Amino acid sequence: MIDLNETIIEKKNFFNRLVFVYLFFGMLFLFFLYRTFSLQVSSFTDYEIASLENKTREILIQPRRGIIYDRNRKIIVNNRPSYNLILKPSQIDNIDEHIEMIGNYIELSEEDTLYTKENFKRKAKLNRELVLKKNLSMEEIAKFESRRYKFPATFVDERYSRENLYSEIFSHAVGYVGSLGDDSLEEILNDQNLRSKETIFKYSNGYIVGKTGLENTYDKKLRGYFGKKIYEVDASGKLLNELKEIPAKNGEDLYTSLDISSQIIAYEQLDKRRGAVVAIEIETGAIVTYVSSPSFPINKITNGMSQADFNQLLNDKDKPFFDRAGQGRYSPASTIKPAIGLYGLENKIIDWEYTIDDPGFFVLPEDNRIYRGWKKGGHGNINLMDAIIESSNTFFFSLAYNSEIDELVNHLSHFGFGKNVCIDCFIPDDGLLPNPEWKMNTLNFGWFKGDTVNMGVGQGYLSATPIQLAYYSAFLAKKGTLNKFSFIQDINTTQEDTFMSNNLVDDDWKNIHKSMIGVIENPKGTAGRLRDLKNYAVAAKSGTVELVSTETKEDYQIIREVEGQRDHAIIIAFAPMPNPKYAVSVVIENGESGGAVAGPVAISVLNSLINNE
Amino acid sequence: MNRLFNSFKSRIYFDQYLFISITLLSIMGLVFLYSASQGNIETTVKQSLFVVLGLILMFLLSQIDPDFYKNNSLLFLIFSIVLILITMIFGKEVNGAKRWLDLGFFTLQSSEIVKIALPVFLAAYLYDKPLPISLLNTLISMMVILIIVNLVRIQPDLGTSLVIFIAGIYVLFLAGLSWRFIGISFGTFILSLPFIWNNFLEPFQRQRILTLLDPNADPYGSGWNITQSKIAIGSGGIKGKGYGEGSQAHLDFLPETETDFIFSVIAEEFGFIGACILISTFFFIMLRCFFLAINARDRFCRLTIGGLSLLFISTIFINLAMVVGIIPVVGMPLPFISKGGSSLLSFYIAFGIIISMATHKKLMQK
Repeated sequence: MIDLNETIIEKKNFFNRLVFVYLFFGMLFLFFLYRTFSLQVSSFTDYEIASLENKTREILIQPRRGIIYDRNRKIIVNNRPSYNLILKPSQIDNIDEHIEMIGNYIELSEEDTLYTKENFKRKAKLNRELVLKKNLSMEEIAKFESRRYKFPATFVDERYSRENLYSEIFSHAVGYVGSLGDDSLEEILNDQNLRSKETIFKYSNGYIVGKTGLENTYDKKLRGYFGKKIYEVDASGKLLNELKEIPAKNGEDLYTSLDISSQIIAYEQLDKRRGAVVAIEIETGAIVTYVSSPSFPINKITNGMSQADFNQLLNDKDKPFFDRAGQGRYSPASTIKPAIGLYGLENKIIDWEYTIDDPGFFVLPEDNRIYRGWKKGGHGNINLMDAIIESSNTFFFSLAYNSEIDELVNHLSHFGFGKNVCIDCFIPDDGLLPNPEWKMNTLNFGWFKGDTVNMGVGQGYLSATPIQLAYYSAFLAKKGTLNKFSFIQDINTTQEDTFMSNNLVDDDWKNIHKSMIGVIENPKGTAGRLRDLKNYAVAAKSGTVELVSTETKEDYQIIREVEGQRDHAIIIAFAPMPNPKYAVSVVIENGESGGAVAGPVAISVLNSLINNE
Repeated sequence: MNRLFNSFKSRIYFDQYLFISITLLSIMGLVFLYSASQGNIETTVKQSLFVVLGLILMFLLSQIDPDFYKNNSLLFLIFSIVLILITMIFGKEVNGAKRWLDLGFFTLQSSEIVKIALPVFLAAYLYDKPLPISLLNTLISMMVILIIVNLVRIQPDLGTSLVIFIAGIYVLFLAGLSWRFIGISFGTFILSLPFIWNNFLEPFQRQRILTLLDPNADPYGSGWNITQSKIAIGSGGIKGKGYGEGSQAHLDFLPETETDFIFSVIAEEFGFIGACILISTFFFIMLRCFFLAINARDRFCRLTIGGLSLLFISTIFINLAMVVGIIPVVGMPLPFISKGGSSLLSFYIAFGIIISMATHKKLMQK
């Protein structure tokens, strides 16, 4: 037993120790309060967001992709509805029985059935939907709809696929759509302020993106904005109820400057030959015709084709996927001559009175190398206008010989050579406008005077795409001022190029036009056979691109045995004169004659454009 | 009439502060539990019955003279140890743990009884030992504590065994455990931590401790509970989301909403204000116990009140520290709030004893 004195000590001791423990706990509670405060007050926003992210999931609603129209408001590309049969697994007790019952009315493939059975449980648990069959026929829909009451957990859902009404005609101009990879999807979702992590992709979100052509260039405009249904979910991810729906914003329709009729004419005229046609409305720089041949069936590419068919297209020696209009490089050949003539006038090397004697060839004084014309014996004493009409090589060899290469290159660049002439073309090629620096860097050779001389007749390294040739043609027609090309009408972002000349006067341009009209109308013109194909005046310049250099006509007869060695046929034209509205360029690979082969195609397209107005 | 009431009042033993605050806490608990159990009426009604039963039990136990507890403490301890042994043999197994004894109308968690019996026994054992406590007495006390702690630990019920251990140590400490012994054993404990880590902790327990140190290492795996609990508490903000509106609790993101993580539900739905009100109530009870302890009639009563109140406080703190991620996850209910009859009753019993110790004065002092 402890005595009284000890009791007092014990009491004090107890008191001290109790205070000690209570202080300890008091501190712990303060720390706890601080912790709670920091969670609930300081970091509230973070945790509020975390809680919100926890309990919501977004299901995207696909926007309808914009419709693409031609310049007459006729539909080129539309959205075609297709119908799928959808199950709500969470409302179905026995999936085998359910499938069997539906199978009585709608034929189900083994693959579909198997897929459904495999995914049934998981989808049911999460309260998601499941596609039982895609692309129902109208008959199947009718059969199902009349028995709808039997299947409360099943419904027919509509989705859209892309349909080009002129499958082969617009393949390169409009391009095709396809499903997109995860990377680009993430990018698009970010762009539209969607959090991909919280997003559930329903079957119907099967998202498409423009892969080529206008579908690609204007993808952002056409695609629209995803809508979303926001669902409350529990911890297992099960959809509970819809909290909110933000409707999708459909893509904007695209009103192009393309002209369906001329497009069809160009396609038919090319008739699966390798080549391209580009036609332009001169005033605006709007592309009205853009055809590359041969083409490929765009709807099949978009909506699925067999691997074998696809491989066949891919391995076709005519390369149907290659966009010759925008990416094919061709020497401009004789079509360059009006531009060279303008160079001579601008730099006062020649005037309209100036003549040379054309013996049929040009001798380069430096090394006595001979550059031949196409006509044996030559064109005699000839001035600029006749040199264009008759397509004298000697005249332009001589003119080029007297020019400075750097100035010539600079001059030609105004006409669209060596640069991108189009605002919204899909991967346009810049062609090649060679200069001494380029030759040194690329071929490791110095520039010869002969290179300049060759450029005078559009041969050699110089090359241009059909769209550049069309630009050149329109630039001549509009007398040195032109908008950059575009597929869109009334474009606000026009970019005008103007040729700042020092010495050219309106009469010079008129004479160039006159000489180009003479190419067709003059008895000596190289494209005389086009004369009767139209009922208005056309300015043109044809060209024949030599792929293999030959000395004589006999030699050419030998090499033309191989189709791929035949000359390319090429023509630029604009009409109706004297106030041209449309400019056109046509290239037909291995077509041999610019005037005779490419010419009629150009005239047909111009007829379609001019006579249908 | 007034005299009759006064004479009645003088015959009963009652502490209005504790009685009112505990009743208030119990009612708050029922309100919270209704929401935390997703509006489960059965759970709430069952819990209400325990509350009523518990309050009556508390009142009745406070009428008994402290000497009764003192004289029978060994009997109580043996009885509660026997209960544990019976549980180990006949107990109901839930999730690999045998903690519950099925009594037909009620499943008893036997460790909840020994939790009360041990501090009372230690107080009764130590109250007449001279100061400072001799080494022999210290070792005997420690042995009793460790035997019981281990019995509970192998059930396994780590949380409760921890609380029992702490409660036992408090009584020893308050009774006058020598500082030298404290120093030596604390040093030994620190040095043996690696040994304990490797030999005494189950892999899942180690994982819980590691999770605490870095909950973001695996937020959807072992860190899930604590991550979701923090989101629940944090998203409550100052005012809370509203009663029954806690999305973390109601959409199953939060685990064990009715028991271990009920505070997270409260904090989510009632915010920082709600949390403060709850904690203030606990704090009030704590201070009242402090006052009662230092004014108790003798050393036995002091030690018992001190030990039981610290048991109560430790339980609260372990639960709260767990849900905000200060300490690892151990199964620990929030007293008077969490679902569970045994835990609820054990604290009513504890407070019944505390009130008894505080209100019975020595005859000669009257």
